Amino acid sequence: MELRAENLRVTAGRREILRGVDFAARAGEVAVIAGPNGSGKTTLLRALTGEIAHGGRVALNGRDCAALRPAELALLRAVLPQAAALSFPFTALEVVRLGLTAGVPGTRAATGRLPAMALARVGLAGFEGRHFHDLSGGEKQRVQLARVLVQIWEPVLDGAPRWLFLDEPVSALDIGHQLQVMAIARDYARAGGGVVAVLHDLNLTAMHADRVTLLDGGRVRSAGTPAEVLTDATLSAAYHCRLRTNTPPPAGGPWILPQAADHCQEEAAE
Amino acid sequence: MAIPVRGAGPLAGDRRRRAARLRLLLGAGLAAAMLLSLGWGAAGETDVTAALLARAGLAEASLRDSVIVWDIRLPRMLAGVLVGAALAVSGAVMQGLFRNPLADPGLVGVSSGAGLGAVLAIAGTGLLPAALQSFVGPWLLPLSAFAGGWLAVLLLYRMATQNGRTSVATMLLAGIALGALSGALTGLLVYRATDDELRDLTFWNMGSVAGVTWARLGAAAPFILAALAAAPFLARSLNALALGEAAALHLGIDVQRMKRIAILAAAASAGASVALTGGIGFVGIVVPHLLRLVQGPDHHGLLVNAGLAGAILLLLADAVSRSIIAPAELPIGIVTACLGGPVFLWIVLRSRAQLEL
Repeated sequence: MELRAENLRVTAGRREILRGVDFAARAGEVAVIAGPNGSGKTTLLRALTGEIAHGGRVALNGRDCAALRPAELALLRAVLPQAAALSFPFTALEVVRLGLTAGVPGTRAATGRLPAMALARVGLAGFEGRHFHDLSGGEKQRVQLARVLVQIWEPVLDGAPRWLFLDEPVSALDIGHQLQVMAIARDYARAGGGVVAVLHDLNLTAMHADRVTLLDGGRVRSAGTPAEVLTDATLSAAYHCRLRTNTPPPAGGPWILPQAADHCQEEAAE
Repeated sequence: MAIPVRGAGPLAGDRRRRAARLRLLLGAGLAAAMLLSLGWGAAGETDVTAALLARAGLAEASLRDSVIVWDIRLPRMLAGVLVGAALAVSGAVMQGLFRNPLADPGLVGVSSGAGLGAVLAIAGTGLLPAALQSFVGPWLLPLSAFAGGWLAVLLLYRMATQNGRTSVATMLLAGIALGALSGALTGLLVYRATDDELRDLTFWNMGSVAGVTWARLGAAAPFILAALAAAPFLARSLNALALGEAAALHLGIDVQRMKRIAILAAAASAGASVALTGGIGFVGIVVPHLLRLVQGPDHHGLLVNAGLAGAILLLLADAVSRSIIAPAELPIGIVTACLGGPVFLWIVLRSRAQLEL
């Protein structure tokens, strides 16, 4: 079971944001979309989740997403947005409960404690009664993650994997909570679900991704395992920077040490 | 991952029980307000119970009492209940749709759009062929008011929403513009109206539940009842919409379809209310706002309770309007504005930081 997208094209006005992107992710794995600013990472995620109109085709577990109703899709995948606004003073618990909007198949009566469990899972036990608007940026992001987890709590439903889409899930988080969120994503994949995440941080990508798709200018520059994609040559070309990729003894994956370099300095000078 | 069975007792942050308790309280309050409205009037000593029971053949009542209760007070009371509920619910629905607590049918030009529709109907009835006139007669006013309100919400939503985001500033300013425009067109129609039409227009414009007949009530009620019946089904979608259109879509809501239904429901209830009782402001903004303070913004509890509380508020406002300068009557719109204006100001001052105008 997998997520497969072919020849995705998105245009905004006359500007092409995605110029024919192929993308694939397998259940049981964490797939990361990486790339420089404006390379089309978030746009790719939005096309994959059906949020924006696009050319090309997306199939989830072999089913064409364009043919699925929103309610059917909601049982198959959940999406964590980059930043979520909330227009009324809901409590943290009430926000998480919104994740149950599409229902939990077969367990209608047994979902009462699920929102509190999800809050505990993201390290926010005891935050149930707090007003969402009073929370810090990082806490808000984790409440939203809890809401998304509640929506597809069981990683496998009727033998088919469910999918977790995360758009820069760690952008507002400190390093400890970054690792916590990536561990939640890893656990979800290990339990049979699929995870697709947009990540800005190359080292987090190297540590947590099973597969990396590196976008550059609306095209796929490179796709494969972190070791295949995160190389000096590929990254330097994509980010217009001199970089050194290294392999620290215990982890075994590459890690990237940015070194101030030509193009970056030029851009900073502008 | 196993899902445990629901435990006893509500969680912190779960305000559904509070909403349910409040619903019982409001239900009892509405019953009391309805009895008050039936039993209290300018006619002096009236045996209301006997008049009510007489219809079922269970008691004897004088013709005078029967007329007062059945032809004057009962339609007036029912109009108060329906219009109060309709205004409060349409306010709550519009606030959920626009994702803003300041959206109100009276404030953002929906009522004036409906008003224009109503005036068009009054001034235009004479233009229709006589056969058609008798056929659509009582329905023309509410239908036309509904169409005017619907067009106003639709235009407003189109103008205020861009890329799934609704701008408060655009919404309020466009609402003012729409209100002024329909006001001008209304003025134009009033200006060139005949004396008979002018009398109808003035009568309608007073904004009152007095003089509501069974026929007028019967023409407006289906719109209001349909909107009130549809509203609870919007609760789930309106809750999800609080997270934005994209998030609501990902939660499984057919956003375009739900927006169409919400706009129709808001326009039907606001339009039919305007057709029945003229412009009664501030109910739609005050009631949902006060309820949110008590029970939180969950639309499941909010929409039902807003209907009940709106009905109570209008019946009480009607009682005030009947007694404050008795035996004359103050138009009820003045009473609701006197109550609602300060509350609205208070909301604005409290949320000044979030308005970003």
